[in-house]
Amino acid sequence: MRHIVLVGNMKVGKKGDTIVTYALGTSLGLMAYDPVAQVGGLLHAMLPLSRSDPQKAATNPCIFVDTGVPKLFKEITGMGGQKSRLILKAAGCARPVGDNEMFKIGERNYSVLKKILWKNSVLLESEDVGGTANRTVHFDLATGEVKISS
Amino acid sequence: MSINVLIVDDSGVMRAMILKSLRMSGLPLGETHQAGNGQEGLEVLNQHWLDLVIVDINMPIMNGEEMIDCMKENPETRDIPIVVISTEGSKTRLDKLQQKGAAFIHKPFTPEKIRDTIRDIMNLESP
Repeated sequence: MRHIVLVGNMKVGKKGDTIVTYALGTSLGLMAYDPVAQVGGLLHAMLPLSRSDPQKAATNPCIFVDTGVPKLFKEITGMGGQKSRLILKAAGCARPVGDNEMFKIGERNYSVLKKILWKNSVLLESEDVGGTANRTVHFDLATGEVKISS
Repeated sequence: MSINVLIVDDSGVMRAMILKSLRMSGLPLGETHQAGNGQEGLEVLNQHWLDLVIVDINMPIMNGEEMIDCMKENPETRDIPIVVISTEGSKTRLDKLQQKGAAFIHKPFTPEKIRDTIRDIMNLESP
C-alpha cells in the first residue's frame, strides 16, 4: 500500500508498503527502518520544539521534532520493531529561501534531531539535509531503501 | 571480530564523548582503553593488544604527533590504524599526519563522522 505523509504527520507500515512525502523544505523528514521485522515509518515534522505551542503538541505531536521523533520510535516498536535495530535516515532541514531566512527553522530542526538521537544513543545511517532544495522522499518498506529527489 | 580501541585525549569529557560515539556506532567494539597524553598512550600500547588508536594532537607531556612517531618506529605498533581527532587547523601539520597514514577528524565532530571514518580506515562494511 502507498501512504502519503503530509506536513506535521507520520505514517508507519510494513513490508509491501511505500511511504511518500512531498515538499520537504525546512521540515525534517526522518525515516526509520527495522530490517529484521521489516517495519518502518516516516515522520514529516515542521518545527523544532513543542514548547512553542504545547497544546498543539498534545493534539498532534508530529508537528514538532522533539515530540514527533519519540512518537515515531514508539509506533515502530508497537509494530514489532526494535529500537536497537533501527536504521535512521534524515532528509530536509533546508533553507529554501536562501541565507535570508531569519528563523533558520531547517537548521534548528536538524540540531534538535541530533540532540534527541545523541540522548537516545542512536546514529543516523545517512542524511541528505541542508541546501536550498525542496525534497521528495520515497521510502520502500520491503527493503528500507530511501529515494530522494529534488 | 571485535575492535580493541585506545582513546588518547587530555580531556576526560572528550574521551567520554568519543567513547559514547563508538558505543552508538554499531561497530564491533571490544576492549576500550583511555590515556591522558601520548606517554600514557604508549604505556597502554605496551600492555594491551589494540586494533585502533584515536588520538588528539595538543596534549601535555607528550603530544599526539610525537606519540604517532613513536608508534611508527616500533614494529609491533607500526601498522595499527590511527584516527586523529583534533582542533588542529594547520595544513602543513595535517598533511604530515596524512603522510603517516592517519585519518583526521576535526573537532567539533559528529558521532556519524567518527563511525564513517573508522569504517573507512578499517575497511568495515556498513549494515
